[in-house]
Amino acid sequence: MADELKQNSGEAVPALVPKASHPRSAGKMPTPRDHQLVRAALVGETSAFGAIVERYWNMVIALALSKITDAAEAEDIAQESFLKAYSQLSSLRDPSRLAGWLSKITMQQCSNSLRRTLQGRRALGYKAIPIEALDEQPAILVNPGLTQNQIQFVRKTIGRLPEKFRTLVIMRFVAELSTVQIAKQLGKRPGTIRVWLHRAYKILRKDLAPLLEEVRS
Amino acid sequence: MMTCGKYKNLIEKYIEGTINDGQLAELKNHAETCESCREQFERCVLLQDVVKQSFSSPMTAKQAGSSIVTRLSEEQNLRLQPARFSTILYSGKRAAIAAGVLLAVGLFLGFALGRVAESSRIPLTAQVPISVGKIEGIVLVKREGSDVWQDLEADSNIYLGDTFHSTAKSACSLKLGDESMLELDQNSMLVLKLYNGQTQFFLEHGECTASLESPHGPFFISTPHGRVEALGTEFTVKVTDE
Repeated sequence: MADELKQNSGEAVPALVPKASHPRSAGKMPTPRDHQLVRAALVGETSAFGAIVERYWNMVIALALSKITDAAEAEDIAQESFLKAYSQLSSLRDPSRLAGWLSKITMQQCSNSLRRTLQGRRALGYKAIPIEALDEQPAILVNPGLTQNQIQFVRKTIGRLPEKFRTLVIMRFVAELSTVQIAKQLGKRPGTIRVWLHRAYKILRKDLAPLLEEVRS
Repeated sequence: MMTCGKYKNLIEKYIEGTINDGQLAELKNHAETCESCREQFERCVLLQDVVKQSFSSPMTAKQAGSSIVTRLSEEQNLRLQPARFSTILYSGKRAAIAAGVLLAVGLFLGFALGRVAESSRIPLTAQVPISVGKIEGIVLVKREGSDVWQDLEADSNIYLGDTFHSTAKSACSLKLGDESMLELDQNSMLVLKLYNGQTQFFLEHGECTASLESPHGPFFISTPHGRVEALGTEFTVKVTDE
Protein backbone atom coordinates (compact mmCIF):
# COMPACT_ATOMS: atom_id res chain seq x y z
CA MET A 1 0.00 0.00 0.00
CA ALA A 2 2.84 2.34 0.81
CA ASP A 3 4.10 2.05 -2.75
CA GLU A 4 0.68 2.83 -4.09
CA LEU A 5 0.45 5.89 -1.89
CA LYS A 6 3.78 7.12 -3.13
CA GLN A 7 2.58 6.95 -6.71
CA ASN A 8 -0.42 8.98 -5.69
CA SER A 9 1.47 11.72 -4.04
CA GLY A 10 3.25 13.73 -6.70
CA GLU A 11 1.49 16.11 -9.05
CA ALA A 12 4.63 16.79 -10.95
CA VAL A 13 5.20 13.17 -11.90
CA PRO A 14 3.94 12.77 -15.43
CA ALA A 15 4.08 8.97 -15.38
CA LEU A 16 0.66 7.64 -14.66
CA VAL A 17 1.45 3.95 -14.71
CA PRO A 18 3.47 2.28 -11.97
CA LYS A 19 7.07 3.26 -12.51
CA ALA A 20 8.30 -0.32 -12.57
CA SER A 21 6.07 -1.16 -15.51
CA HIS A 22 7.43 1.63 -17.65
CA PRO A 23 10.14 0.42 -20.00
CA ARG A 24 12.22 3.58 -19.83
CA SER A 25 12.08 4.20 -16.10
CA ALA A 26 14.73 1.60 -15.29
CA GLY A 27 17.36 3.43 -17.33
CA LYS A 28 16.75 6.75 -15.53
CA MET A 29 15.31 8.15 -18.74
CA PRO A 30 12.72 10.87 -18.24
CA THR A 31 9.20 9.55 -18.75
CA PRO A 32 7.89 10.88 -22.04
CA ARG A 33 4.93 13.16 -21.71
CA ASP A 34 1.65 12.55 -23.47
CA HIS A 35 2.24 15.12 -26.18
CA GLN A 36 5.66 13.63 -26.95
CA LEU A 37 4.14 10.16 -27.31
CA VAL A 38 1.35 11.50 -29.50
CA ARG A 39 3.83 13.30 -31.74
CA ALA A 40 5.94 10.15 -32.06
CA ALA A 41 2.90 8.01 -32.82
CA LEU A 42 1.81 10.49 -35.48
CA VAL A 43 5.06 10.06 -37.36
CA GLY A 44 4.55 6.30 -37.41
CA GLU A 45 6.17 5.05 -34.18
CA THR A 46 3.64 2.44 -33.15
CA SER A 47 5.69 1.67 -30.02
CA ALA A 48 4.90 5.20 -28.83
CA PHE A 49 1.24 4.41 -29.20
CA GLY A 50 1.90 1.18 -27.29
CA ALA A 51 3.24 3.32 -24.44
CA ILE A 52 0.05 5.40 -24.55
CA VAL A 53 -1.99 2.20 -24.29
CA GLU A 54 0.11 1.04 -21.31
CA ARG A 55 -0.33 4.38 -19.63
CA TYR A 56 -4.09 4.59 -20.00
CA TRP A 57 -5.20 0.97 -20.25
CA ASN A 58 -6.36 0.82 -16.63
CA MET A 59 -8.40 3.95 -17.05
CA VAL A 60 -9.99 2.91 -20.34
CA ILE A 61 -10.85 -0.62 -19.22
CA ALA A 62 -12.31 0.79 -15.99
CA LEU A 63 -14.47 3.23 -17.92
CA ALA A 64 -15.68 0.39 -20.11
CA LEU A 65 -16.36 -1.82 -17.07
CA SER A 66 -18.37 0.98 -15.48
CA LYS A 67 -20.86 0.70 -18.34
CA ILE A 68 -20.50 -2.86 -19.61
CA THR A 69 -21.13 -5.79 -17.26
CA ASP A 70 -19.37 -8.41 -19.34
CA ALA A 71 -15.60 -8.23 -18.70
CA ALA A 72 -14.62 -9.77 -22.05
CA GLU A 73 -16.86 -7.34 -23.91
CA ALA A 74 -15.46 -4.43 -21.92
CA GLU A 75 -11.96 -5.55 -22.84
CA ASP A 76 -12.92 -5.64 -26.51
CA ILE A 77 -14.41 -2.18 -26.22
CA ALA A 78 -11.26 -0.89 -24.53
CA GLN A 79 -9.12 -2.27 -27.36
CA GLU A 80 -11.46 -0.91 -30.01
CA SER A 81 -11.37 2.47 -28.28
CA PHE A 82 -7.58 2.55 -28.52
CA LEU A 83 -7.65 1.50 -32.17
CA LYS A 84 -10.19 4.19 -32.94
CA ALA A 85 -8.06 6.69 -31.04
CA TYR A 86 -5.06 5.65 -33.11
CA SER A 87 -6.84 6.11 -36.41
CA GLN A 88 -8.13 9.51 -35.31
CA LEU A 89 -4.98 10.63 -33.54
CA SER A 90 -4.37 13.41 -36.04
CA SER A 91 -7.68 14.97 -35.01
CA LEU A 92 -6.57 15.33 -31.38
CA ARG A 93 -6.25 19.08 -31.05
CA ASP A 94 -4.52 19.28 -27.68
CA PRO A 95 -2.27 16.25 -26.98
CA SER A 96 -1.93 17.29 -23.33
CA ARG A 97 -5.62 16.37 -22.96
CA LEU A 98 -5.08 12.85 -24.24
CA ALA A 99 -6.70 11.13 -21.23
CA GLY A 100 -9.82 13.27 -21.47
CA TRP A 101 -10.05 12.56 -25.20
CA LEU A 102 -9.59 8.83 -24.67
CA SER A 103 -12.28 8.79 -22.01
CA LYS A 104 -14.74 10.41 -24.43
CA ILE A 105 -13.95 7.90 -27.16
CA THR A 106 -14.38 5.02 -24.69
CA MET A 107 -17.73 6.28 -23.45
CA GLN A 108 -18.87 6.68 -27.05
CA GLN A 109 -17.76 3.16 -27.90
CA CYS A 110 -19.62 1.85 -24.84
CA SER A 111 -22.79 3.65 -25.84
CA ASN A 112 -22.55 2.23 -29.37
CA SER A 113 -22.00 -1.26 -28.00
CA LEU A 114 -24.87 -0.99 -25.52
CA ARG A 115 -27.17 0.20 -28.30
CA ARG A 116 -26.20 -2.75 -30.49
CA THR A 117 -26.57 -5.21 -27.60
CA LEU A 118 -29.93 -3.80 -26.62
CA GLN A 119 -31.20 -4.11 -30.16
CA GLY A 120 -29.95 -7.70 -30.36
CA ARG A 121 -31.45 -8.63 -26.99
CA ARG A 122 -34.78 -7.09 -27.87
CA ALA A 123 -34.82 -9.15 -31.02
CA LEU A 124 -34.09 -12.34 -29.02
CA GLY A 125 -36.34 -11.52 -26.02
CA TYR A 126 -33.35 -11.71 -23.63
CA LYS A 127 -33.65 -11.08 -19.88
CA ALA A 128 -30.73 -9.79 -17.79
CA ILE A 129 -29.21 -11.99 -15.06
CA PRO A 130 -29.60 -10.34 -11.63
CA ILE A 131 -26.41 -9.68 -9.66
CA GLU A 132 -27.62 -11.94 -6.85
CA ALA A 133 -27.54 -14.88 -9.23
CA LEU A 134 -23.78 -14.52 -9.70
CA ASP A 135 -21.72 -16.98 -7.69
CA GLU A 136 -20.02 -16.04 -4.48
CA GLN A 137 -16.72 -17.56 -5.52
CA PRO A 138 -13.67 -15.28 -5.44
CA ALA A 139 -13.36 -13.36 -8.65
CA ILE A 140 -10.61 -13.54 -11.21
CA LEU A 141 -7.09 -13.59 -9.85
CA VAL A 142 -6.48 -9.89 -10.23
CA ASN A 143 -9.14 -9.10 -7.64
CA PRO A 144 -7.99 -11.35 -4.80
CA GLY A 145 -9.80 -9.64 -1.96
CA LEU A 146 -13.23 -9.22 -3.50
CA THR A 147 -15.87 -11.70 -4.58
CA GLN A 148 -17.51 -11.45 -7.98
CA ASN A 149 -20.63 -10.23 -6.24
CA GLN A 150 -18.77 -7.45 -4.44
CA ILE A 151 -17.00 -6.39 -7.62
CA GLN A 152 -20.29 -6.16 -9.47
CA PHE A 153 -21.74 -4.18 -6.58
CA VAL A 154 -18.90 -1.65 -6.73
CA ARG A 155 -19.13 -1.39 -10.52
CA LYS A 156 -22.88 -0.92 -10.39
CA THR A 157 -22.54 1.71 -7.66
CA ILE A 158 -20.02 3.67 -9.71
CA GLY A 159 -22.00 3.04 -12.89
CA ARG A 160 -24.98 4.76 -11.27
CA LEU A 161 -23.02 7.97 -10.74
CA PRO A 162 -23.56 10.82 -13.20
CA GLU A 163 -21.14 10.45 -16.09
CA LYS A 164 -18.95 13.40 -15.06
CA PHE A 165 -18.54 11.92 -11.56
CA ARG A 166 -17.96 8.41 -12.91
CA THR A 167 -15.21 9.51 -15.28
CA LEU A 168 -13.67 11.58 -12.51
CA VAL A 169 -13.69 8.72 -9.96
CA ILE A 170 -12.05 6.40 -12.46
CA MET A 171 -9.46 8.94 -13.51
CA ARG A 172 -8.65 9.62 -9.87
CA PHE A 173 -8.78 6.20 -8.22
CA VAL A 174 -7.95 3.88 -11.10
CA ALA A 175 -5.70 5.97 -13.38
CA GLU A 176 -4.37 7.71 -10.25
CA LEU A 177 -4.39 11.17 -11.74
CA SER A 178 -4.53 14.03 -9.26
CA THR A 179 -7.39 16.51 -9.35
CA VAL A 180 -5.02 19.04 -10.91
CA GLN A 181 -4.12 16.65 -13.72
CA ILE A 182 -7.76 15.67 -14.24
CA ALA A 183 -8.75 19.33 -14.46
CA LYS A 184 -6.18 19.82 -17.19
CA GLN A 185 -7.31 16.70 -19.04
CA LEU A 186 -10.98 17.66 -18.95
CA GLY A 187 -10.41 21.36 -19.53
CA LYS A 188 -12.02 22.31 -16.21
CA ARG A 189 -10.86 24.40 -13.27
CA PRO A 190 -9.14 22.43 -10.47
CA GLY A 191 -11.63 23.87 -7.97
CA THR A 192 -14.54 22.44 -9.95
CA ILE A 193 -12.91 19.03 -10.13
CA ARG A 194 -12.19 19.08 -6.38
CA VAL A 195 -15.82 19.87 -5.62
CA TRP A 196 -17.06 17.14 -7.98
CA LEU A 197 -14.65 14.60 -6.52
CA HIS A 198 -15.71 15.26 -2.95
CA ARG A 199 -19.37 15.02 -3.94
CA ALA A 200 -18.75 11.73 -5.72
CA TYR A 201 -16.65 10.49 -2.81
CA LYS A 202 -19.43 11.32 -0.36
CA ILE A 203 -21.94 9.33 -2.43
CA LEU A 204 -19.57 6.38 -2.70
CA ARG A 205 -18.72 6.42 1.00
CA LYS A 206 -22.41 6.21 1.80
CA ASP A 207 -23.39 3.67 -0.86
CA LEU A 208 -20.37 1.43 -0.37
CA ALA A 209 -20.45 1.62 3.45
CA PRO A 210 -21.93 -1.88 3.95
CA LEU A 211 -19.42 -3.39 1.53
CA LEU A 212 -16.49 -1.58 3.18
CA GLU A 213 -17.59 -2.91 6.57
CA GLU A 214 -17.84 -6.39 5.10
CA VAL A 215 -14.36 -6.18 3.60
CA ARG A 216 -12.82 -4.78 6.78
CA SER A 217 -14.27 -7.53 8.90
CA MET B 1 -7.68 17.03 18.95
CA MET B 2 -7.04 20.69 18.19
CA THR B 3 -4.58 19.72 15.47
CA CYS B 4 -6.93 17.22 13.76
CA GLY B 5 -8.21 19.95 11.45
CA LYS B 6 -4.84 19.98 9.76
CA TYR B 7 -4.94 16.19 9.27
CA LYS B 8 -8.44 16.31 7.92
CA ASN B 9 -7.10 18.66 5.26
CA LEU B 10 -4.33 16.18 4.57
CA ILE B 11 -6.91 13.40 4.19
CA GLU B 12 -8.73 15.59 1.67
CA LYS B 13 -5.46 16.11 -0.15
CA TYR B 14 -4.93 12.36 -0.12
CA ILE B 15 -8.35 11.87 -1.72
CA GLU B 16 -7.49 14.53 -4.31
CA GLY B 17 -4.09 12.99 -5.00
CA THR B 18 -2.25 16.18 -4.19
CA ILE B 19 -0.57 15.07 -0.96
CA ASN B 20 3.23 14.92 -0.99
CA ASP B 21 5.46 12.27 0.61
CA GLY B 22 6.28 14.37 3.68
CA GLN B 23 2.63 15.19 4.34
CA LEU B 24 1.67 11.55 3.88
CA ALA B 25 4.26 10.40 6.40
CA GLU B 26 3.03 13.05 8.82
CA LEU B 27 -0.56 11.90 8.34
CA LYS B 28 0.37 8.27 8.92
CA ASN B 29 2.25 9.15 12.11
CA HIS B 30 -0.72 11.08 13.41
CA ALA B 31 -3.11 8.29 12.46
CA GLU B 32 -1.20 5.92 14.71
CA THR B 33 -2.11 7.96 17.75
CA CYS B 34 -5.49 9.46 16.75
CA GLU B 35 -8.26 6.93 16.42
CA SER B 36 -10.69 9.26 14.68
CA CYS B 37 -8.20 10.25 11.97
CA ARG B 38 -6.99 6.67 11.61
CA GLU B 39 -10.53 5.48 11.07
CA GLN B 40 -11.14 8.16 8.39
CA PHE B 41 -7.84 7.61 6.67
CA GLU B 42 -8.21 3.83 6.60
CA ARG B 43 -11.69 4.19 5.13
CA CYS B 44 -10.27 6.41 2.36
CA VAL B 45 -7.50 3.98 1.58
CA LEU B 46 -9.90 1.05 1.59
CA LEU B 47 -12.45 2.78 -0.62
CA GLN B 48 -9.82 3.69 -3.20
CA ASP B 49 -8.41 0.19 -3.06
CA VAL B 50 -11.82 -1.41 -3.49
CA VAL B 51 -12.61 0.82 -6.48
CA LYS B 52 -9.27 0.11 -8.08
CA GLN B 53 -9.57 -3.63 -7.57
CA SER B 54 -13.12 -3.72 -8.88
CA PHE B 55 -12.06 -2.17 -12.16
CA SER B 56 -8.90 -4.11 -12.78
CA SER B 57 -8.68 -6.34 -15.79
CA PRO B 58 -7.02 -9.74 -16.27
CA MET B 59 -5.13 -8.19 -19.17
CA THR B 60 -2.33 -6.05 -17.79
CA ALA B 61 -1.47 -2.66 -19.22
CA LYS B 62 1.76 -4.06 -20.65
CA GLN B 63 -0.06 -6.93 -22.37
CA ALA B 64 -2.65 -4.52 -23.73
CA GLY B 65 0.07 -2.24 -25.12
CA SER B 66 1.79 -5.16 -26.87
CA SER B 67 -1.49 -6.50 -28.18
CA ILE B 68 -2.44 -3.14 -29.70
CA VAL B 69 1.00 -2.64 -31.24
CA THR B 70 0.80 -6.12 -32.78
CA ARG B 71 -2.62 -5.43 -34.21
CA LEU B 72 -1.45 -2.10 -35.61
CA SER B 73 1.42 -3.76 -37.43
CA GLU B 74 -0.59 -6.77 -38.63
CA GLU B 75 -3.93 -5.29 -39.62
CA GLN B 76 -3.57 -3.27 -42.79
CA ASN B 77 -6.79 -1.35 -42.32
CA LEU B 78 -5.56 0.20 -39.06
CA ARG B 79 -3.86 3.29 -40.30
CA LEU B 80 -3.51 6.83 -39.12
CA GLN B 81 -6.13 8.86 -40.88
CA PRO B 82 -5.06 12.25 -42.18
CA ALA B 83 -6.57 15.21 -40.38
CA ARG B 84 -10.15 15.52 -41.51
CA PHE B 85 -11.35 18.59 -43.33
CA SER B 86 -13.71 19.40 -40.49
CA THR B 87 -10.80 19.21 -38.06
CA ILE B 88 -8.76 21.54 -40.20
CA LEU B 89 -11.73 23.83 -40.30
CA TYR B 90 -12.13 23.59 -36.55
CA SER B 91 -8.46 24.19 -35.91
CA GLY B 92 -8.68 27.27 -38.13
CA LYS B 93 -11.90 28.36 -36.48
CA ARG B 94 -10.31 30.92 -34.22
CA ALA B 95 -8.21 32.28 -37.06
CA ALA B 96 -11.32 32.47 -39.23
CA ILE B 97 -13.25 34.33 -36.55
CA ALA B 98 -10.33 36.72 -36.06
CA ALA B 99 -10.07 37.25 -39.82
CA GLY B 100 -13.82 37.86 -40.00
CA VAL B 101 -13.68 40.43 -37.23
CA LEU B 102 -10.70 42.15 -38.85
CA LEU B 103 -12.46 42.17 -42.19
CA ALA B 104 -15.60 43.67 -40.65
CA VAL B 105 -13.56 46.32 -38.83
CA GLY B 106 -11.59 47.01 -42.02
CA LEU B 107 -14.73 47.38 -44.08
CA PHE B 108 -16.30 49.64 -41.50
CA LEU B 109 -13.21 51.81 -41.22
CA GLY B 110 -12.76 51.88 -44.97
CA PHE B 111 -16.34 52.89 -45.45
CA ALA B 112 -16.23 55.50 -42.72
CA LEU B 113 -12.89 56.92 -43.87
CA GLY B 114 -14.11 56.85 -47.45
CA ARG B 115 -17.12 58.84 -46.45
CA VAL B 116 -14.98 61.30 -44.56
CA ALA B 117 -12.54 61.56 -47.45
CA GLU B 118 -15.38 61.98 -49.90
CA SER B 119 -16.90 64.66 -47.78
CA SER B 120 -13.59 66.38 -47.37
CA ARG B 121 -12.92 66.30 -51.08
CA ILE B 122 -16.21 68.04 -51.87
CA PRO B 123 -16.77 70.93 -49.53
CA LEU B 124 -20.37 71.48 -48.68
CA THR B 125 -20.21 74.98 -50.06
CA ALA B 126 -18.79 73.95 -53.45
CA GLN B 127 -20.41 75.41 -56.51
CA VAL B 128 -22.51 72.93 -58.46
CA PRO B 129 -23.26 72.89 -62.22
CA ILE B 130 -26.75 74.18 -61.74
CA SER B 131 -27.92 77.51 -63.01
CA VAL B 132 -30.99 79.56 -62.38
CA GLY B 133 -33.56 79.49 -65.17
CA LYS B 134 -36.80 81.40 -64.94
CA ILE B 135 -37.79 83.35 -61.81
CA GLU B 136 -41.32 84.57 -61.10
CA GLY B 137 -42.09 86.74 -58.08
CA ILE B 138 -39.73 86.60 -55.14
CA VAL B 139 -37.53 83.58 -54.57
CA LEU B 140 -35.06 83.70 -51.73
CA VAL B 141 -31.84 81.79 -51.26
CA LYS B 142 -29.81 81.20 -48.12
CA ARG B 143 -26.22 79.97 -48.22
CA GLU B 144 -24.93 77.20 -45.94
CA GLY B 145 -23.72 78.64 -42.65
CA SER B 146 -25.49 81.95 -43.20
CA ASP B 147 -28.71 83.17 -41.66
CA VAL B 148 -29.28 85.80 -44.32
CA TRP B 149 -31.88 85.26 -47.00
CA GLN B 150 -31.03 86.89 -50.34
CA ASP B 151 -33.04 87.36 -53.49
CA LEU B 152 -32.27 84.72 -56.07
CA GLU B 153 -31.05 86.36 -59.26
CA ALA B 154 -30.93 84.89 -62.74
CA ASP B 155 -27.14 84.96 -62.69
CA SER B 156 -26.72 83.68 -59.12
CA ASN B 157 -24.21 80.92 -58.62
CA ILE B 158 -25.61 77.82 -56.97
CA TYR B 159 -23.72 76.10 -54.16
CA LEU B 160 -24.15 72.94 -52.17
CA GLY B 161 -26.03 73.74 -49.01
CA ASP B 162 -28.18 76.40 -50.65
CA THR B 163 -31.77 76.60 -49.47
CA PHE B 164 -34.34 78.02 -51.90
CA HIS B 165 -37.57 79.46 -50.65
CA SER B 166 -40.27 80.50 -53.06
CA THR B 167 -42.78 82.90 -51.51
CA ALA B 168 -46.50 83.09 -52.33
CA LYS B 169 -47.28 83.39 -56.00
CA SER B 170 -43.62 82.92 -56.85
CA ALA B 171 -41.72 80.17 -58.66
CA CYS B 172 -38.36 79.47 -60.12
CA SER B 173 -36.64 76.89 -62.23
CA LEU B 174 -33.14 75.41 -61.88
CA LYS B 175 -31.33 74.13 -64.93
CA LEU B 176 -29.64 70.82 -64.12
CA GLY B 177 -28.14 70.20 -67.54
CA ASP B 178 -28.85 70.86 -71.17
CA GLU B 179 -32.35 69.47 -71.06
CA SER B 180 -33.17 68.83 -67.42
CA MET B 181 -35.00 71.31 -65.30
CA LEU B 182 -36.34 71.49 -61.76
CA GLU B 183 -39.21 73.88 -61.14
CA LEU B 184 -40.02 75.04 -57.63
CA ASP B 185 -43.62 76.01 -57.10
CA GLN B 186 -44.86 78.75 -54.74
CA ASN B 187 -44.52 78.44 -50.97
CA SER B 188 -41.87 75.75 -51.29
CA MET B 189 -38.49 75.17 -49.78
CA LEU B 190 -35.74 73.15 -51.47
CA VAL B 191 -32.28 72.39 -50.07
CA LEU B 192 -29.24 71.20 -52.02
CA LYS B 193 -27.47 68.62 -49.89
CA LEU B 194 -24.52 66.34 -50.38
CA TYR B 195 -25.30 62.65 -50.27
CA ASN B 196 -22.75 59.97 -51.24
CA GLY B 197 -20.76 62.52 -53.22
CA GLN B 198 -23.80 63.59 -55.24
CA THR B 199 -26.13 66.54 -55.06
CA GLN B 200 -29.30 65.67 -53.29
CA PHE B 201 -32.48 67.70 -53.80
CA PHE B 202 -34.35 67.86 -50.55
CA LEU B 203 -37.85 69.29 -50.72
CA GLU B 204 -38.67 70.39 -47.20
CA HIS B 205 -42.18 71.47 -48.10
CA GLY B 206 -44.17 72.70 -51.07
CA GLU B 207 -44.08 71.33 -54.57
CA CYS B 208 -41.53 70.89 -57.31
CA THR B 209 -41.61 69.41 -60.77
CA ALA B 210 -38.69 67.79 -62.49
CA SER B 211 -38.43 67.66 -66.28
CA LEU B 212 -35.57 65.37 -67.17
CA GLU B 213 -33.77 64.67 -70.41
CA SER B 214 -34.27 61.25 -71.91
CA PRO B 215 -32.58 58.97 -71.15
CA HIS B 216 -31.42 60.07 -67.74
CA GLY B 217 -29.51 58.43 -64.92
CA PRO B 218 -30.94 57.81 -61.48
CA PHE B 219 -32.60 60.94 -60.19
CA PHE B 220 -34.12 61.35 -56.75
CA ILE B 221 -35.95 64.01 -54.83
CA SER B 222 -35.85 63.52 -51.08
CA THR B 223 -38.56 64.68 -48.74
CA PRO B 224 -39.04 64.44 -44.98
CA HIS B 225 -41.30 61.45 -45.71
CA GLY B 226 -39.01 59.54 -48.05
CA ARG B 227 -37.15 59.57 -51.30
CA VAL B 228 -38.85 59.64 -54.69
CA GLU B 229 -37.13 58.29 -57.79
CA ALA B 230 -37.87 59.60 -61.25
CA LEU B 231 -38.75 56.74 -63.57
CA GLY B 232 -40.03 58.82 -66.45
CA THR B 233 -38.99 62.22 -67.71
CA GLU B 234 -41.49 64.37 -65.82
CA PHE B 235 -42.72 64.09 -62.29
CA THR B 236 -44.01 66.26 -59.52
CA VAL B 237 -43.35 65.90 -55.82
CA LYS B 238 -45.55 67.61 -53.31
CA VAL B 239 -44.92 67.81 -49.57
CA THR B 240 -47.79 69.03 -47.43
CA ASP B 241 -48.35 69.04 -43.71
CA GLU B 242 -51.33 66.72 -43.98
